[in-house]
Amino acid sequence: MKALIIIAAVIVFLILIYLIQPRSRKLFIKNLLKQLFYLFPRYFT
Amino acid sequence: MSDYDVVVIGAGCGGLGIGALLSHQGRKVLVVEQSNLIGGCCSTFEQKGYRIDLGASIIEFPQVIDWCFKRMGTSFFDEVDLVPVDPTFSAMLSDGTKVTYPLSLEETRKEIMRVAPEDVKGWDKYSKKFQGFIDTALDGFFVSPMNNFTDMVKLFAKTPALLKYNSLFFSSYEGVIRKYFKNEKIIESFSFHSFYAGQPPALLPGHFAMLPYAEHAGVYYSKGGMIGIPKGFQKCGEKSGMKIRLNTAVKKILVSKKRVRGVVLEDGTEITSDVVVSNINSRKMYLEMIGEEHLPWLAKAGLKSYTYSMATPMLYLCLNYTPPLEHHHTLMTLPMEKVNNYWFNHYLKGSFPKEQFGILSWTTRSDPSLAPKGHHIIAVTLAPGVYKLKGTTWDQEKPRLKEEIINYLDKTYLPGLKEHIVLAELSTPSDFEKRLRSPEGAIYALRQDLPHSMMFRPAAKSKHVKGLYLVGASTHPGGGVPTVIASAMIGADLIEKYEQ
Repeated sequence: MKALIIIAAVIVFLILIYLIQPRSRKLFIKNLLKQLFYLFPRYFT
Repeated sequence: MSDYDVVVIGAGCGGLGIGALLSHQGRKVLVVEQSNLIGGCCSTFEQKGYRIDLGASIIEFPQVIDWCFKRMGTSFFDEVDLVPVDPTFSAMLSDGTKVTYPLSLEETRKEIMRVAPEDVKGWDKYSKKFQGFIDTALDGFFVSPMNNFTDMVKLFAKTPALLKYNSLFFSSYEGVIRKYFKNEKIIESFSFHSFYAGQPPALLPGHFAMLPYAEHAGVYYSKGGMIGIPKGFQKCGEKSGMKIRLNTAVKKILVSKKRVRGVVLEDGTEITSDVVVSNINSRKMYLEMIGEEHLPWLAKAGLKSYTYSMATPMLYLCLNYTPPLEHHHTLMTLPMEKVNNYWFNHYLKGSFPKEQFGILSWTTRSDPSLAPKGHHIIAVTLAPGVYKLKGTTWDQEKPRLKEEIINYLDKTYLPGLKEHIVLAELSTPSDFEKRLRSPEGAIYALRQDLPHSMMFRPAAKSKHVKGLYLVGASTHPGGGVPTVIASAMIGADLIEKYEQ
């Protein structure tokens, strides 16, 4: 339970950090996050 | 006994560069090229007495290209007849202001003082930062393999000073430019440079913000057309026995027991070789020429996840008057915000802009011999064009677009243009695809954002097929003339190490 609370707090903190970024930084981060899933298979190319 | 020690597929600058380097090592090298011209995107074709550059119209980072020639005991400046381009460029801003960037850093400082005195300090800091970055990164990051995590660790261990610049890789081009400059005019003047690496300012990694600064180390044009650069490699390679076959397309790369055995040409001829170097789009090469049956599922998933880089429609104009321009490179710019909006609201949604931005490359300014006496050539790099237009095709739109763009240029940057056109040819992404066999007309092969870079870009030494090496825009360090030549040096080093 404690671990879950810590994880949730970290996520909320990261979301808050994201929200205060300028628009261009948000676009940059969004582009990275959208492709995060592909990084693992791309490492094997 | 194989026919050749090495077969290189594609005679772009990367393919010819590695071909020449390997011939110089004493290997028997054959370069096969599907078209009738060498150079790929860095090439020049002739039409009705005009010599027109296909894509690249200047080179930056001459020192990187020089390193490659130096490995063969000569120099870039001895092998290629180069014309210095000074000023490096001028930007025609959307409000009519002109900002010119001379080669001299001191003169550039004066220009910034004229346009935006409040940004002079920013310019000084920006220059210092990127001079440091270039000094640290150029001969490490750009000419070291980046095949896996170990390579990355080795690079940082060898060049710990690079850690100081880590934040650049995790910021956007726009973020870095805005950090140093506050005046919107200066920011706008740098807004198109991000497309030199194929991404809008908001998405391109921040280390590319070195591009406007790097031009001050020297920008050159190759006399006789940009094809002079691949011709320089051809000359060096042929001196050591390298052979080139034009109009020779490869259909398949032969693989058995997880090792390359050579290539099969489209006419069915087999050429055997224990080493094959691919200078073509790596996604296409792996999935179509090697075949999915030779790849593990993770690699297939990775390859299929890659997005091709942007394509760039080009308008080639041959004129019978002196155009009202001053310099070799004039950028038609829009505010950075608008450039980003174009990408997200038009490019990604399949439309092409009415309000153009891009580069006017007045090549006859640097070399009048490219056109008949008194005539001129301008190669116009237009806004990035997405391959799949919404509800239509490039072939359908081409005549209308050509007329629209000429009218636009006549009203804006090139008054009098319409009455002086001898020849005008619009090359669309679909034309690039046909001419260069580059999927979707991609000029940098794959996108160049962080998730398509370094160890997440296909490796220079294949991880699945022994004897297969990659050069060109598809592998680290990515697209651009000096960078693909850097990939040739990386590839030659790897072959020297692993293929005795």
